[in-house]
Amino acid sequence: MKTIPTLGDILQAQGVSRRGFMKYCAATASLLALPPAMVPRIAQALEQARRPSVIWLSFQECTGCTESLTRSSSPTLEGLIFDSISLDYHHTLQAASGDAAEAARHAAMEENMGQYLVLVDGSIPMGNPGFSTIAGISNYDMLMETVEGAAAVVAIGSCAAFGGIPGANPNPTGAVSVQDLVKDKPVVNVPGCPPIPMVITAVLAQFLTFGQLPELDIHGRPVAFFGQTIHDRCYRRPFYEQGKFAETFDDEGARKGWCLFKLGCKGPITYNACATVKWNAGTSFPIESGHPCLGCSEPGFWDKGGFYAPLSTGNFGSGGKLAGAAVAGVALGAAAAVAGRRRQAKYTKEA
Amino acid sequence: MDLLDFARGPALQVAAYILVAGVLWRLVGILMLKEKPEFSEPRKPGGFMAALKVIYTRSFTAAPFKRATLYPKMLAYVLHIGFFAVIFLFVPHIVFFEGFLGFDWPGLPNNVIYLSGVAAVVAGLALLVRRLTDPVLRLISNFDDYFSWFVTILPILTGLIMPVRMGVRYETLLAIHILSVAVLMIWLPFGKLGHTFLVFVTRGTTGMVFERRGAKT
Amino acid sequence: MTTVDGRHTLDREAERLAYKPPEVRHDIQGDMETEERVEKAMHHFVKNFNSQTASYLDGCLHCGMCADACHFHVRTDDPRYTPIWKLELFKQAYKREAGPFAFFYRLFGFKKKVTIDQLEEWQHLLYDSCTVCGRCSLVCPMGIDIAGLVSMARHGMFMAGLIPHELHETAKRAAETGSPLGITADKFEDRVEWMADEHEVEIPMDVEQADVLAVMSSIEIQKYPQSIAATAKILNAAGESWTFRTDGFEATNFGMLSGNPGWQKEATMKLINAAIKIGAKLIVLPECGHAYMALRWMGANMYGKPLPFKVMHISEYMADALNKGKIKVKKVDTSVTYHDPCQVSRRGGATQAARDVIRHLGVDFREMEYGGDYNWCCGGGGGVVTIKRADPLRHRVFKLKMDQVEKTEADELLSSCANCRQSFDDSQEHFNWDYKMGSLMEMVAENLEDEA
Repeated sequence: MKTIPTLGDILQAQGVSRRGFMKYCAATASLLALPPAMVPRIAQALEQARRPSVIWLSFQECTGCTESLTRSSSPTLEGLIFDSISLDYHHTLQAASGDAAEAARHAAMEENMGQYLVLVDGSIPMGNPGFSTIAGISNYDMLMETVEGAAAVVAIGSCAAFGGIPGANPNPTGAVSVQDLVKDKPVVNVPGCPPIPMVITAVLAQFLTFGQLPELDIHGRPVAFFGQTIHDRCYRRPFYEQGKFAETFDDEGARKGWCLFKLGCKGPITYNACATVKWNAGTSFPIESGHPCLGCSEPGFWDKGGFYAPLSTGNFGSGGKLAGAAVAGVALGAAAAVAGRRRQAKYTKEA
Repeated sequence: MDLLDFARGPALQVAAYILVAGVLWRLVGILMLKEKPEFSEPRKPGGFMAALKVIYTRSFTAAPFKRATLYPKMLAYVLHIGFFAVIFLFVPHIVFFEGFLGFDWPGLPNNVIYLSGVAAVVAGLALLVRRLTDPVLRLISNFDDYFSWFVTILPILTGLIMPVRMGVRYETLLAIHILSVAVLMIWLPFGKLGHTFLVFVTRGTTGMVFERRGAKT
Repeated sequence: MTTVDGRHTLDREAERLAYKPPEVRHDIQGDMETEERVEKAMHHFVKNFNSQTASYLDGCLHCGMCADACHFHVRTDDPRYTPIWKLELFKQAYKREAGPFAFFYRLFGFKKKVTIDQLEEWQHLLYDSCTVCGRCSLVCPMGIDIAGLVSMARHGMFMAGLIPHELHETAKRAAETGSPLGITADKFEDRVEWMADEHEVEIPMDVEQADVLAVMSSIEIQKYPQSIAATAKILNAAGESWTFRTDGFEATNFGMLSGNPGWQKEATMKLINAAIKIGAKLIVLPECGHAYMALRWMGANMYGKPLPFKVMHISEYMADALNKGKIKVKKVDTSVTYHDPCQVSRRGGATQAARDVIRHLGVDFREMEYGGDYNWCCGGGGGVVTIKRADPLRHRVFKLKMDQVEKTEADELLSSCANCRQSFDDSQEHFNWDYKMGSLMEMVAENLEDEA
């Protein structure tokens, strides 16, 4: 087995200062809501980390999650973190292809049996194995084969976590999520369409540091990033409370940065870190840019009534059916009245 | 389909169908019964205007009865006004109506709405206590009275809990709130909540009959 | 006002004014089987379930405000006297038999069938403790005409043979003889002649053709016969072409009060036919409350088409005649308060007429508290004064009237209904009260000015 340098070795070789490294560890600790005392531990763990094997499987996906990851804000450090995991298999990023690529995957699995991480993006089609294949292998087969020796599985992006856009109505490919299929390995969902880069790397950093997965919510998402709603952390919340809403895009309210509830914002039911961590190194997030939250880290967000349909919009069914109900009501009432009249007439005659 | 999807979808749909069908059933069932013909010579014009007059005036208690009925009347006003303020002047609700009416109207700030909701619930509780303790009300009250109370207060209550959370996830609270509204919609046509639409019929009828007599309404 | 006799001062708070619930007495007429009674009650409840009744019975909110308007409840605090509770059986029957959901009410037993025990218990509520005064109808926030519904509910009770004994006997006598007190045409003619003599007034009887048909109530004929003379004086002074008719002189309608629509119609038709026979353009009704309701507002519906003549209560006639100058009265130097007969004022819409008359009389008029449309009932209307077992209840209720009248400190108390008068007289005797009710019509008749 070739010597695998530790992360510390690599960083040193790359000329990353100790100070810079410690700053990163402090930021990570803060992100994970860990006390400052944990920082040296994170530093120690990361420093001594052997680059664990990571196999990244891409199924029915748009590659947006990978794109998000590579748009990381501190390319130097995060890129290095990525260098410090042995990314042994990734469709988009790897150089190899075809048989060579598959061979690499199998080699990584064998060498690190029981210890490698499987990261998945994209949903898995169950309608027909032929809908999505890699090197002639169906997504389903590849997934089940690869997770056999995995330490844990991280479903990255809403497609892998919940089925995502392929799984949206009418779900023509029969797309399902990772957790629908993988039952005997720990699965962490990092949803979002795409997820925030820092969220992805923080989950990995936690695993690297502590060798265990973070606390998860009822949807299998790390509570640290998915424990609060956008609504509860949104900087526009005071406008919601005051009743100041943008009515249309680019109207006076929109320009004043008022609440986007009426434009369909799903913030109240969406759990993610967008309102605090934001995107592009804290530059902005959709609401701040004037667009209502899509709710993209929630299961089935494509089918929640529409991105621009306000959360409190009801679905009253078709006009036709309502008309039908009206007709039925009138008919029943008429029948009751006729019966009542008959009775009345009968007894009037009797007297 | 999770609870919220169910509440916003099939639950509200079915509730809407039942509401529409039920209201028409009850109204038509009453109005299509035999009409009592009236041949007496009127003292004053009756008809539609008389009906409208009494629909309006009966909202206010006549002076001789004011003192005796002041307490429950005030509570009822607080309950109704608070209830309507919450339903029609809270922006997320206005958006709800806009969804099928096609137009909207200005709302009030959330804290004002919250206060109205609290006032409505407090008035509702006071009215319930009265119904349980006043001898007249104890005698005449039945299941309909208590169930209608429950079904009316529940949406307000669940709505008030939403910002407070009480350890429950927001989307669950929202689902429960919407479901409680669905229950209200389903019950409304059938019990005494039907006064929502019957009040116009009963007051209007009395207006027409007694105004034409020149009698006090 | 008479001076109060110090030896028998009226002590309002004394024990004898304490309310004792009436003896339980379930009067029954006829010998029908129980099932038949219940069936008859139901059928005759159902007969009344038209769209108007239905909306009322469907609209009740159980708010209980009607109790605060009802003199029987207010003076006893007995929740059973809550007006809408008096209609509970009627309401139950409606929901089971004619309501929009009647089928389901029966299928699932949401409302039980009315039982004989309930009907017997409700006799007291529907008859002893309701004068159909209509205050409850005015307070109801839903605008339900509760009083009117009580009249309808009585149909079922009558047909089931479950009405108070005295009321039944009186109504039967009226149906058989034409008068609740058994005053035949001959007796009436006699009394008219007697009054004509004693008061030296021309009283036309059985004239073939006349513009105005005057009618009387048996109470007046029997107890206050001077009303006959007073009526004649007023109509003569107005220069009216008028007459009494032996084939149509009874204004009271005990069929209506007791709950027998057949008898109600008979009594009404007598008057209508007599008026038509003589080509009358107007029927002047006497000082009687329910007579006004029976003919002015319900008469045409009994007839089945608009009446070919006008109907006026004597107070309306006097007001009209005074306003038009057809008759004139001397100014009377006294202070007066007025008790409104419920069926004429509140239910009938003729509240202002009496006040016009009083204004012409030039008296110091003192409206009592709630005087006018919201006035308290005398407690004896709707047949209650005939029901002996209801006397304690009626007397208890009368305190409201005594307080009202005394507060005005008026010299005279007037009204325009012989039944109210009878109720007041009875209670006045019972309490040794110092006010005696006078008749508005008599005061006018006594103070007519000769043609100017």
